[in-house]
Amino acid sequence: MVRFMLGRLLRAFITIIAVVTFAFVVLRMSGDPSQVMLGPDAPQDAVDAFRHRWGLDQPLWVQYFAYVRSILTGDFGVSMRDHASALGLVLQRVPATLQLTLPAMALKLFLGIPAGVYAALNRDSTTDRAVILLSVLGFTIPSFVMGLLLVLIFSVMLGVLPSGGQDTWVHGILPTLTLAIGGIGILARFSRSAMIEVLTQHYVRTASAKGMSWRNVVWRHALPNAALPIVTLVGFMVGSLIAGAVVVESIFSWPGIGRLLIVSVSNRDLAVVQCILLVIAATMVVSNLLVDLAYGWLDPRLAARRH
Amino acid sequence: MTVLLEARDLARVYQILRGLFVEPTMLRAVDGVSLTVEAGETLGIVGESGCGKSTLGRMLLGIDPADEGAVRFDGDAMPGLGSKDWRQSRRKMQLVYQDPLAALDRRLPIAEQIGEPLDIHGLADGADRAARIWSLMDAVGLDAEQADRYPHQLSGGQRQRVVIARALASEPKLIVCDEPVSALDVSIQAQVVNLLRDLQQDTGIAMVFISHDLKVVRNIADRVAVMYLGRIVEEASSDDVFRDPRHPYTQALVSSVPEPGKPLAHRTILQGEPPNPGNRPSGCAFHPRCPLVREICRTTAPSLTSIAHGRQVACHVAGACLHAA
Amino acid sequence: MSISHTLASPATDAKSVRRSRSRLPMSVGLGIAWLGAMVLVAAFADQIRPFDITTMDLAHRLAPPGGLKHLLGTDELGRDVLTRLIQSIRVSLVIAFGATLLSATFGTLLGFAAAQFRGVVEHLILVLADFQAALPFLIMSLAVLAFFGSSMLLLVCLMGFYGWERYARIARGLAISAGTQGYAAAVVQLGATPGRVYLRHILPNVASTLIVSMTLTFPEIILMESGLSFLGLGVQPPETSLGNMVGFGREYLTRAPWIMLAPAVVIMLTTLSISLVGDWLRDKLDPTIR
Repeated sequence: MVRFMLGRLLRAFITIIAVVTFAFVVLRMSGDPSQVMLGPDAPQDAVDAFRHRWGLDQPLWVQYFAYVRSILTGDFGVSMRDHASALGLVLQRVPATLQLTLPAMALKLFLGIPAGVYAALNRDSTTDRAVILLSVLGFTIPSFVMGLLLVLIFSVMLGVLPSGGQDTWVHGILPTLTLAIGGIGILARFSRSAMIEVLTQHYVRTASAKGMSWRNVVWRHALPNAALPIVTLVGFMVGSLIAGAVVVESIFSWPGIGRLLIVSVSNRDLAVVQCILLVIAATMVVSNLLVDLAYGWLDPRLAARRH
Repeated sequence: MTVLLEARDLARVYQILRGLFVEPTMLRAVDGVSLTVEAGETLGIVGESGCGKSTLGRMLLGIDPADEGAVRFDGDAMPGLGSKDWRQSRRKMQLVYQDPLAALDRRLPIAEQIGEPLDIHGLADGADRAARIWSLMDAVGLDAEQADRYPHQLSGGQRQRVVIARALASEPKLIVCDEPVSALDVSIQAQVVNLLRDLQQDTGIAMVFISHDLKVVRNIADRVAVMYLGRIVEEASSDDVFRDPRHPYTQALVSSVPEPGKPLAHRTILQGEPPNPGNRPSGCAFHPRCPLVREICRTTAPSLTSIAHGRQVACHVAGACLHAA
Repeated sequence: MSISHTLASPATDAKSVRRSRSRLPMSVGLGIAWLGAMVLVAAFADQIRPFDITTMDLAHRLAPPGGLKHLLGTDELGRDVLTRLIQSIRVSLVIAFGATLLSATFGTLLGFAAAQFRGVVEHLILVLADFQAALPFLIMSLAVLAFFGSSMLLLVCLMGFYGWERYARIARGLAISAGTQGYAAAVVQLGATPGRVYLRHILPNVASTLIVSMTLTFPEIILMESGLSFLGLGVQPPETSLGNMVGFGREYLTRAPWIMLAPAVVIMLTTLSISLVGDWLRDKLDPTIR
């Protein structure tokens, strides 16, 4: 178990290094920053001074280590647009994104998993079929179509909910719903098949054959075992709490990370884009690590390796 | 007779990892084996499962690299695994597998697979290729109408015939048969062994026949090498081994083969743990199970020594064994 | 959006497998029919579209659907929605198809390389896969497009990286299991070159599994491309794609919802059809795949 975790930590570390390197390479390959900053007509001595000031006249590996060092000290560069710290700009947007993704996450968990488990326990019932149908629809409708459909129905036709902005909590309803619907479908279908898999296992049949009440069988044997694969998917969803709202924030003009990313991409604000990239990758890596920890805790086979 | 294949002091060592902070254990699957195969002869290699006989067979063909020692084939050193020379040398030596279904591509008709060595080594094409495939199928007892069948449409014995035909396609000088009949029904085993023996006699190919089954080896081998935990403990002509086994282990094996009309009165039942290559006993590896064990056996490993013309045995008490048999 | 491959796992519904083996379910038949129609539309787009995609009919701007001249109505510049829809189907399908092939080829190659060379190569590929898992594909695409600007070629290449790790994992696993004791080892032993072993033996044996994986990747790439185009960073005007049409149609959501609804319906039906047909194919060809 300790060895397993050490291995995962090492992999996570290498992944972060790979992402940082990726950001560096893309940043350098995308053109000479002096051209971008000073314009094509800048005099040569100004360009030289700029290159010297930013270390661009150094060998590539020196630049790379300087880049890594600046990131380690929390210096992610300065936004080209308003010259504010890129990290500050990004962190300032995190709460807005979480305002959408956290409630959406809660909806996914508290609606998706029970719906899937219920469908699995009542297979081929009307409810089961409804869950399958809705989850397929939830998955195949892309979020930008879903968002616009919701706007069309609730804002344009019924006129009961606002279609954009962040003024009151009411404004958050449609974007949260848009985010949640697809995830509910995916989680419901996934929980359903995980649960069905477990219910056909011998230990579950043995437990009910030896006279254990069905309620006990489900709670003590089926659910804990079905939880393992579900945890993986939930971990993935937790990892995308920050990254997963790009499209939805853009539809509803919600001032979160996603919108910042789109705006920065359109403006070629490279410092901000690479900062978002690194923040998102770090979130993903950490949540993947947490999933592995949860696995070790949930799966006695892994836990046993501690000894 | 000319020496076709000569192996000297072959060893294959595996590292067994037992955890992060535990020293890895060295497992010597094959440990200092020397043997020769002459052109046109059949050498049987016998031993329990796990004694390293399959690994030895693969090392003789250069499929598993030798960690120590060397193999010379037809006077030349074995080329490095996977090199161009190695690939070309495959034409002269072939392997027949234990599980024919696993050794065949389930998506190609069998005639295509039999003809594959011809394509790989550029030996025949067009009508010539078709004729060669047909005569190979005929030689192993497959009907021409089965040419377009797929492996799963054949019986186990037929599949093994396909594998044998494929092995013979490039007209090799040596084939190694690794337990070629142990996956087959008992009723089919004799047919396949007889086929191999007939083919060997007709073509004069040299053969190494690996099996845990003494009866089968007796039927086909000119000479027999008995292996125990990675080493050869006795080597002699097939007749000598069966008539007059010297090593106590060979004696136990031979005595367990039932013969019609003879009661199994003198059967030697082996005692103790079955051998575990990861935990090799000191001295003579066989000593914990040996009915004739002496003090020296616990401390000193006996070396393979010649006791008569063409006979070698690795046992401290082999001379005394004469009477025990 | 990289989730659909988890949808099928962890259990294959035993009952539906049995049912689907006996006859073609109607939903799958409809899915195949729809996909066939889409392929025909994409192939003959030039012949069947009533107008040129940039032709403006200023007299009939924002005309509602149902008109004789403009069956699906017109957009804000009076361009025929049906014409643009047909062209969008072609562009989106071609991008998704090209990208799926690219990613299958790239991933399979890497998987085979990992199986053939093991050691360092395998670890490098593992690091690449971890990297891919750490950066949501949409985010990575946005970053790359931000740094290099959007172009059709870059877009297809980017999409061509989508899902490669899935093919790599499958190809590596199957090649290793074939190579250790199976038919591949037997062919190596015959003296075949690695190229022959992989192309003639291993590839045909893993093809069905890879094709099933492609049916998983294809709709995800359509969604990814239309998502990027919707955000204005994928296919650029005057060229049009399904996502790009939805994106521009969004401006006229209140006055002319048909501009956005037509491509949205096509996206939904297409991804739904591929999912249905893919599930059915998986049960048919390869019940063991995740």
